[in-house]
Amino acid sequence: MKRTLGILFIVFISLVLIAGCTEEKPPGEELKIGVVASMTGSASTTGKDIWQSAELAADEINADGGVYVADLGKKVPIRLVQGDDESTREGGQKAVSRMITQDNVDILVGGFSSAVVSAHQQIVAEHKVPYIITGASTPIITRRTDVDTTYMFHHAPTCDDSGSQIILFLDDTVRPAINSQYNFSADRPLRLAILYQDSPYGKGHQTAIKNTITNSSLNIEIVAEEAFKMGESDYRTVLTSIKNTDPDVIYVTAFLNEQIPIETQAMRDIGLNKIFTAVEPNDDPDFYKGVGTYGDYSIVQSRFSPYTVPKGPTEAAYNKFVTDFDKKYGGFPGMMGVATYEGVYIAAKAVEDAGTLNKTAVRDALATIRMPQMVENMQDQTISFSPDCRESKFELTMEQLYWDESAKETRPKIVWPEGLKETSFVLPEWYEPGQD
Amino acid sequence: MVVSSDLIIQVMIWGLYAGCIYILLATGLNLIFGVMKIVNFAHGELLMLGAYITFTFYAVSGFNPYVLLAASLPILILIGVIIERTCFRPILGTGKLNEIFISIGLIYIIQNAAAMIWSDEWRTIHSPFEHITLKIFGVNLPLDYLIIVITTISILIILFLFMQRTRLGKAMRATSQNRKGAMLMGINVERMDMLAFGIGAGLAGAAGTLWVVSGQVFNPYMGSIPAVKAFAIVIIGGLGSIPGAIIGGLIYGIAENFAILTLGGAWKDAISFIILILVLIVRPTGIFGESAE
Amino acid sequence: MIDMNKTLGIGSKRARLLGVILLLLLAVTLPLIFGMNLYLLTVLVLMVIFIIYASSWNFLTYTGQGSLGHAAFFGLGGYASAIVASASGLSPYITIFIGGGMAALVGLFIGIICVRLKEWFLAMVTFGFAIIIQTLMVSQFADISGGWDGIAAPRLVPSSIPNYQLIEYYSIVLIAVFVILLFYFILKSKIGLAFAAIRENEIEARAAGIDPVKYRLFAFLVSAYFSGVAGALEIHNLGYITPEIFGVDISFWPIIYSISGGLGTLAGPIVGTIFITFIWDGLQSFGLTYLRFVIIGLLLVLIIIFLPKGLISLPDKIKGYLGKRQKKVQ
Repeated sequence: MKRTLGILFIVFISLVLIAGCTEEKPPGEELKIGVVASMTGSASTTGKDIWQSAELAADEINADGGVYVADLGKKVPIRLVQGDDESTREGGQKAVSRMITQDNVDILVGGFSSAVVSAHQQIVAEHKVPYIITGASTPIITRRTDVDTTYMFHHAPTCDDSGSQIILFLDDTVRPAINSQYNFSADRPLRLAILYQDSPYGKGHQTAIKNTITNSSLNIEIVAEEAFKMGESDYRTVLTSIKNTDPDVIYVTAFLNEQIPIETQAMRDIGLNKIFTAVEPNDDPDFYKGVGTYGDYSIVQSRFSPYTVPKGPTEAAYNKFVTDFDKKYGGFPGMMGVATYEGVYIAAKAVEDAGTLNKTAVRDALATIRMPQMVENMQDQTISFSPDCRESKFELTMEQLYWDESAKETRPKIVWPEGLKETSFVLPEWYEPGQD
Repeated sequence: MVVSSDLIIQVMIWGLYAGCIYILLATGLNLIFGVMKIVNFAHGELLMLGAYITFTFYAVSGFNPYVLLAASLPILILIGVIIERTCFRPILGTGKLNEIFISIGLIYIIQNAAAMIWSDEWRTIHSPFEHITLKIFGVNLPLDYLIIVITTISILIILFLFMQRTRLGKAMRATSQNRKGAMLMGINVERMDMLAFGIGAGLAGAAGTLWVVSGQVFNPYMGSIPAVKAFAIVIIGGLGSIPGAIIGGLIYGIAENFAILTLGGAWKDAISFIILILVLIVRPTGIFGESAE
Repeated sequence: MIDMNKTLGIGSKRARLLGVILLLLLAVTLPLIFGMNLYLLTVLVLMVIFIIYASSWNFLTYTGQGSLGHAAFFGLGGYASAIVASASGLSPYITIFIGGGMAALVGLFIGIICVRLKEWFLAMVTFGFAIIIQTLMVSQFADISGGWDGIAAPRLVPSSIPNYQLIEYYSIVLIAVFVILLFYFILKSKIGLAFAAIRENEIEARAAGIDPVKYRLFAFLVSAYFSGVAGALEIHNLGYITPEIFGVDISFWPIIYSISGGLGTLAGPIVGTIFITFIWDGLQSFGLTYLRFVIIGLLLVLIIIFLPKGLISLPDKIKGYLGKRQKKVQ
């Protein structure tokens, strides 16, 4: 008897806890934005960046009086609701369903892991809540046909975007540089080795590389494709087999805890004196700290760098965001943070455009939104979502790292694309090209 | 793939260095198992703690991380003793499954406590000898690897001498051979348990320090992969058998690298478990395991 | 002799019955009291699915076995059911049992290897199988499993039907009741006695003519089958399956639930799942992040040390303690 009473007690206590979370202003008095962030679990470092950046954006907008809603004839403040997806599929589903039905959010922003996002898309689709997904690298997110994805907008570079831009850079900059420096014939193909993480992320890049080469019929030959387990520490065997295929460039799809030992072991242990490319999440202070001298002359893709800012329209916004973030929370926000920061602004703009909090109207406003780029460089310098897949298009940059004696670390300089570059790509003295 | 003799020597040196980490872990596991007849599945978390404690000393003092090993080792031994006293001793003899389950609890506690203390951002320690590479018989040998191999061998020799020459070591060996008999001989077996667990934790901590000084990036969840590999090695070789662990490690290393070359890197973890399962089908106690008990 | 109470739960028969009735009543009425509340339903659906899963995992411990890799079966059930349902157009209500079948088939294979092994080896081998199966799914079987991208799974009840979430919830509760009743009858039968005999003393059991290998294999099969069904239910509820389903957390949750509730009892996994779920979500509403994991870990350690029979033995323990004190006073 005591036991059953105990169970009842626990259940009701918990229900009170759940119910307690829903005290709020009457609808229409505020714009409620649900932030899907991994506050706990394996992705919690980015989760913190995501939440804090969203807070920063909301505070800025609220300091300015809030978001003007024509329907109400006044400005309403933004209230953020945190939804911790716990870096798991189940946690994401719980968090999103809570935000939709308990907190009655008007719009959702965030989402990080592709696996986690795909497991709560169904709920979002069924409740038709606009969702600005600022993470998830897989393009499938907005291309699924089994659920209605028309309310979902993808504001993050997908593997396709990121992969194709690296390949274009290799084709129009690195290949000619090698061929001319070593007196190869101009039509010699670039010998490319791919080293990728065995994960949706790595596989996505592998597919994007191949598609880009085929679709644009580029003069690039893939000489090696090697996978490694997520979190691997010993790359010497794979790197040795890559060395035997004699590549010009090694395209690595890895997180920074893998990218660092890959470049270190390749240079120090294998003597693989080649150009390495790293994908955009690696452009992080911890990467520069970890890779040390072995990063010299390597290539890093970037959308939001801690140490360099593309000259031009985004420069001021970049400096303001980074300084404000550092002042408020200390540290560097990271690229997941900046996307969410922009995501909150996109949400606010969409509500203003729609002039109402009605979800369908906000969705329609998002579909046709055109707002100037903010911190990150966008194609056409505009944030807008493509009509077919509702993806925004990023202008990613390629940086080459050079040793900086005063920092005792390497520092990036933008070498691509043409319009944003600070300096030209160079081949280091120790570089050894693949066979002719 | 071109296989030259240089390459074979090179691969062996890399294997030796990576093997050092596993041997330290596996020796600790075997020691604990021998004396207490328990398996600590949270052993990898001790490796992680070792790395973080050295990292903290390094960040504060800026000393050579190899020297700091001497400072972090006693702390790890203390942590090991505390874990043994508070978690494993109360459940000794209540069933093997309980030991496994209590380890799961420990994994959650240690990983997340570490994340609260040090945050879960990626950390690195740069060795002062990072750029020194010796060229011996035409083979590139980073000085760090040499130091790691020498350190490991020294630790193992000290351990061996301790077990063979000292009263305490002899008592520990007696306990692991026959617990009841040892008890009758007046050996305080509970003290032996504490000692074994402490040394095991210390070895794991040393492994963690050497691991990160050699250029590994780490966070609070870093311990699980090396620990799982050490387990596989210990089980392949037979629980409680040191030569078994060395042979298990060799089989393991060769198979792993062979898998990378043939099936691809994605198979690296899976292949070690396939071998583990194959070994256990043929010999359910492992290659060198005692068939009794 | 073997005490049946020990196998089925603790407390008097009447108290147990009352508990079951109250729990069922609560399960049925909760969604009605609070109306169509999606969040509550989501939490409850996942909880009931994990009750099935934890109970299936716990079924293994009746024969003294354990597993650190039940995510293999959970995931296989999910994949098989999702693939069959999308390819054939059959209702997920049928395909979940096909998913279970797939899990059981692999479970049979793993079981043949595992039943002879010692506990530590068993733990490692089951742990390893989850990794091997994940690797196979993303490489050799990538064509049908969608590789790392995963595949969509149709919903249990199409969202075009009114109150589909409520129907889903009640049907999952029904399946859970069925599974637990089935376990109850198995354990009450001669098989249950044989399980207990093997668990208590394998050598004596053998002497009494009970073949431990046969019974352990049977337990493994049943456990794998219903873990597969639970996985399939979850997948049809989430609508999408990715290889992350084979993750360590999915393997560890049923262990945590079963231990905290009470290992080797029918009520244990149910009480444990409910208790831990609410603690987990409750701690989150206080904004605890890492500390939440630490607390769950501490809870696990404390329960193993001080309450080896789990939370369901707490009332008896308190009663026993009070009884002893009264005696002392007298």
